[in-house]
Amino acid sequence: MKKYSTPYLIWMIALVLIPILFMMILSVTNTKGVNFEGATFDVSQWSKLTQSIYLTALWNSLRLSTYTSIISLIIGYPVAYWLSQSESKFKSLWLLMIIVPTWSNMLLRIIAWETLFYPRSILNSVGISLDLIGSDLAIVIGMVSIYLPFMIFPIYAVLDKMDPSYAEAASDLGASPFHIFTRVTLPLSLSGIVSGVIMTFLPSATAFAIPQRLGGGNVLLIGNIIESLFKRTFDYNLGSLFSLAVIVVIFLGMRVLSKVDAEGETLL
Amino acid sequence: MNLERVARPIIYSLTAFLLYFPVLIIGILSFNASSRNFEITGFTLNWFVEIVQDRSLFEAIQRTWMVAVISTVFATIVGTFVAIGIHDLTTTQRRRILFLNNIPIVNPDVVTGISLMLIFSLIGLPFGFITMLLAHIFFSIPYVVLTVLPKLKLLDPNLYDAAVDLGCSPFQAVQKVIIPAIASAIIAGGLIAFTMSIDDFVISYFTTGSGFTNFSNWIYSRLSRRSFSPAAYAYNTLVTTVTLGGLLIYNLQSQRKQKRG
Repeated sequence: MKKYSTPYLIWMIALVLIPILFMMILSVTNTKGVNFEGATFDVSQWSKLTQSIYLTALWNSLRLSTYTSIISLIIGYPVAYWLSQSESKFKSLWLLMIIVPTWSNMLLRIIAWETLFYPRSILNSVGISLDLIGSDLAIVIGMVSIYLPFMIFPIYAVLDKMDPSYAEAASDLGASPFHIFTRVTLPLSLSGIVSGVIMTFLPSATAFAIPQRLGGGNVLLIGNIIESLFKRTFDYNLGSLFSLAVIVVIFLGMRVLSKVDAEGETLL
Repeated sequence: MNLERVARPIIYSLTAFLLYFPVLIIGILSFNASSRNFEITGFTLNWFVEIVQDRSLFEAIQRTWMVAVISTVFATIVGTFVAIGIHDLTTTQRRRILFLNNIPIVNPDVVTGISLMLIFSLIGLPFGFITMLLAHIFFSIPYVVLTVLPKLKLLDPNLYDAAVDLGCSPFQAVQKVIIPAIASAIIAGGLIAFTMSIDDFVISYFTTGSGFTNFSNWIYSRLSRRSFSPAAYAYNTLVTTVTLGGLLIYNLQSQRKQKRG
């Protein structure tokens, strides 16, 4: 039955690795889009990397996605922990309640926040007027509300599978509840935390619709840069360079992930 | 722990607020008489009628469902066989192919979208239905593989051998013994694939063309042209309500069955 996986290997190489190779070529040439006619070796786009607009975008991405991951972890870990400990017969219902909001369209949920963050909003009728568009707070609220389930589920998956006898053994050997948590439960759930952080950090660092809407068009992230280079100015060469930079970060992330979870069992 | 008693209600309400407040706002706006989303002028059901009457919206919704259904069926079938194949590999081979398999899951959508856009334009495929469908199949299969694989690990390895010993061909053994044994995981994988496809924005945005738009892309382009219609809110509310209702009925019925059984 091994043969069933061979075509898949070819398909994945064609659609995952070849595009990366292609981006590498684009990043050191001066093609027009994917048209190689008259293209030569050219690395002039590399010097653009240090232009202030790009450095700002990089800084925005790092800052906002770090906030998002930390806040999601602070909220998501306890939720996952309590859910995994719960003996309520409604446990599966509670889990479902975390999935249900993700069935609403992501863009619509972002617009919902957006409408509230302008000074003139439906909140005026209850005497509230916010002016948050363009602020870090607005973007981080939007990102956390979208990506929080991606933090909760990997951690929950690990905690739920954990053998309760470890904690019992620690307790029998005299550990306090605090020590059981910090010395046993927390280290054993590390793979879930790593997955959760990756699954919230990467999409928020490269988001482009969220900063576009909640930033009022003034806050650029690396995702906005890539989007506009490929879809608006058609500068595939510089765009490829930025995509490659993101891919390097992803591969580093996946290396870390494969250390704690070799087969990706915490990714669902 | 005392801290836990204080923190618990705070964290739970914060989670509920972050996850459900936008959904609530979408709900409110779908019944709002005003088409401007900063004022509430009264109650209306007009936006629900508008879902069908706004032809470009209705077309986008139909296309979203068409792509989601076709790509899910395809990805579920292919993903199941791929998982069966991967399960049979040696540990090193399996980890290598799973590393590739997990790239689209971990990859931010922007990178996946651009990778596919580049390869499609390199091959010279015309952008539209076919490219979007291929893209959806591409990002769905890994989820099916990851869902089916753990179930295969739990399966008794003698099952397959027994079927072959009793005269099944290898394909028959897979079809008649293994697939029924892992059916629940296949369905779960299919559901994840469907959810990913029906809600996708970024990858579709980069891989479509010649006017072929799905729901998310319709919203995005209407927003940038400032001609957004609240009918989109209404459609979203409708879908969420129907799915939730369906789930509740299903739960109640299976509980009733349990009681009787």
